[in-house]
Amino acid sequence: MFECNDIRKSFGGIDVLEGVNLTLKPGDRIGLSGGNGSGKSTLINIATGFVAADSGGISLDGKSYHRLPPWRVARLGIRRTFQSVRMQPSAPLGEQLYDKNTDAQTRADMLQDSGVNAYLDRFPAQAPAPVLRKAEVVRALLAKPRLLFLDEPSAGLDAAELEKLGVFLNRWAQGALILVIVEHRRDLMDMTVRQQFELRRGRLVGITAGA
Amino acid sequence: MSIYLASVLTNMALLSFLALSAYLVLIVGEVSFGQQAFFGIGAYIAATVTAIFHGSLITALLAACVTGALAALLLGLLTVRLSGLYFSIATLSFAELYRLSLLQLRFPVEVNGRKSGPDGPEGFENIRWAFENNLDVHDFLLLASLCLLVLLGVFLWLERTQFMKNARLAGKDGILAQSLGIRPDFYRLLFISASGALAGFGGGLFAHFNSYIEPAMFGIMLGVHSLAYAIIGGLGTPLGPLLGVALDIGILESIRALSQYRMIVFGGLVALLLIFRPEGILGPQTVHRLKAWMRRRDV
Amino acid sequence: MSSSARIWETARLDMNANPVMEVVQTTLDGLLVGAAYALIALGFSLIFGVMKRINLAYGSCLLLGGAVAVWLEPYLGWGVVGIFAATVIGGTVASVYVERLCFAPHSGRRAATASMISSFAVWMQLDEISSQLLPRRTHDFPGMALDTIEAWGLLIRVEQLLHLLAALALMGGVFLLLYKSRFGLLLRAASENIQTASLLGCHTSRLGLTAFALAGVLGGVAAFLILSNDSQITPLFGLWSTFKGLVAMMLGGMGSIPGAILGGLLLGVLEAHVAYHFGAEFRDIATFALLFLILLVRPGGLFGKSAYRTERNAGERL
Repeated sequence: MFECNDIRKSFGGIDVLEGVNLTLKPGDRIGLSGGNGSGKSTLINIATGFVAADSGGISLDGKSYHRLPPWRVARLGIRRTFQSVRMQPSAPLGEQLYDKNTDAQTRADMLQDSGVNAYLDRFPAQAPAPVLRKAEVVRALLAKPRLLFLDEPSAGLDAAELEKLGVFLNRWAQGALILVIVEHRRDLMDMTVRQQFELRRGRLVGITAGA
Repeated sequence: MSIYLASVLTNMALLSFLALSAYLVLIVGEVSFGQQAFFGIGAYIAATVTAIFHGSLITALLAACVTGALAALLLGLLTVRLSGLYFSIATLSFAELYRLSLLQLRFPVEVNGRKSGPDGPEGFENIRWAFENNLDVHDFLLLASLCLLVLLGVFLWLERTQFMKNARLAGKDGILAQSLGIRPDFYRLLFISASGALAGFGGGLFAHFNSYIEPAMFGIMLGVHSLAYAIIGGLGTPLGPLLGVALDIGILESIRALSQYRMIVFGGLVALLLIFRPEGILGPQTVHRLKAWMRRRDV
Repeated sequence: MSSSARIWETARLDMNANPVMEVVQTTLDGLLVGAAYALIALGFSLIFGVMKRINLAYGSCLLLGGAVAVWLEPYLGWGVVGIFAATVIGGTVASVYVERLCFAPHSGRRAATASMISSFAVWMQLDEISSQLLPRRTHDFPGMALDTIEAWGLLIRVEQLLHLLAALALMGGVFLLLYKSRFGLLLRAASENIQTASLLGCHTSRLGLTAFALAGVLGGVAAFLILSNDSQITPLFGLWSTFKGLVAMMLGGMGSIPGAILGGLLLGVLEAHVAYHFGAEFRDIATFALLFLILLVRPGGLFGKSAYRTERNAGERL
């Protein structure tokens, strides 16, 4: 169970988040949209420990992790991807797509399914951007997180690739994993999530699917 | 083997310790201009242990290692907020501060009728352990190469571990590392301390090989070289810094015609390499390709 | 390190009776020596202000200018004027060389580190060339043979006074250039954001070159003033100027033009008092201790707006 309780954050006098409340149960998959500067990324940064909220509580399974450093938050099983892809530039992708939490067979299947397979021997600089986007998602999923934030995973993907990413997520982001997809486009979310929210004036507003 | 060749090779081995210590700092993403200070600390501590307190070489080297590590840890803790050029300048000023303090450090002692102990600019004379224990240049070469080989073995084994991959990631992209549950400052402090230990160990050996040390030996020149070795050689494998040492000492210094202009050639070479091969000769990609090539040949 | 040892030989009146005058004279000595530091720091600040990178080979460019002048002295006419011209030209050429080799080829996130390491290596290269030009290590450098004047019971060397005036005049010049001319606007735009600068229609690569050439001229003038005051040159002058300039800049504020002057003067006064109380051998220890302390306590410098913090924030943006 992931809970945000009245999260507030302002930067230089501008209120970005004005009391965000969110409760997610294991298995929940939600989409989070909102215009530029509406605070989507800030919310991810707070939820993953990179930015401290001015006030409010944040907890996983009833344990508050407010003000823990990001690496400790990550060890709680909370993972994220980045708006601009971050991979280790001086190691081949195959080396980076490994996690002791996932057995070899599952890993092989996941790599096969994601379409990253052909690039395992390449360094990030030699792989196309869409592949890196997917590699980032695969890296996060291999860690078997309990809570996963995808920060604009569809950026730079064309319609066909987006479709494939959606199918991939539907297949692998399963079980008790709580998935939060942050996007300003709706297409990927319509495919994968069950509930959609929008950040408006610093608050979360639920929107019905397909609206 | 001639004595000249043996002493050149020994010097190469000793410099390799320093180059590897610069390499360790580079791995965690920082550039240190001050590794020569830990080399100097190791040299003075080790010399003190054998020449004044009549300890064994092993004790001396251990003491050099520990002191080097502690000094580096202290520097790492003090500069915990600094990165990039601010860290580099801090290490440079730390090293110069150490060298200048050595000039003020005067504790000459008389040991068996000979002057020993640190004596400011006049240096630390009569570090006679090797002489008293009948170690000649060839024995010393053997000792230094053995230590270096063991160290290389440890390094090569470490390269295969997740631990080393984490350290490299922490050095390349601290934010990404944190998002994967890796704590960058842990690796930073650990590697900086280890680099101090390595440089200290090398310095301890150096003091006993040379039997005389003085503050001027641990100046900026030594720092430039150790850093340049690691950068020229590349950050893909611990063999990189050794390649850097071999290139500089092995080629530039041994070709007589070049030796006068060594620094001119060497400085330009480093600048050019930074442009055309910023990852060094044995950078991660090259190493990866070489490994793949070797695997294919095995099959 | 104290290559310019003669710079400290400020004439001293016999003032054993008056401790207040001693303090005043020591401070004055420090200010005058600090003027030389300020001159060097000015070039450092100009480069850091424009490129946000440190040129560790800067002192070596100054040394090379001086070494070239001494080496050419037998062939040059016009006495001191010829030496002055040779120093400035030598320093400028060296500075441009450093820019082409160590700064222009590097861009992007890793540029600051790459340029710093590269200039560190070229520092050694230029020092070695200078050493080859100065085979006797210590060479005479033609001075201007100006007097020492006495006023209100204080002794002032006219050359050092000239340093102070030159530092202030050059600072004024650089300040006008940076803040009152279109060229300066472009330089400052480039230092904030390379893309914006190219949108404003300037060749960013030429800007870097111009900044370095300018820093080379400033450095040449500084080298001539300091060396002629010392009336000697040694290969250690490069190291000496790099450190004094660097400390002065970091003390005053990274990339700040008035900060460079203030930092230089402050460093001079501080060193003079340390030397007065603890002996001359502690002068350089004080320099490095100060540099280390500033970095730990206030990495952006005392007066500058914190370049350090902006840079750090930019690096940590997600």
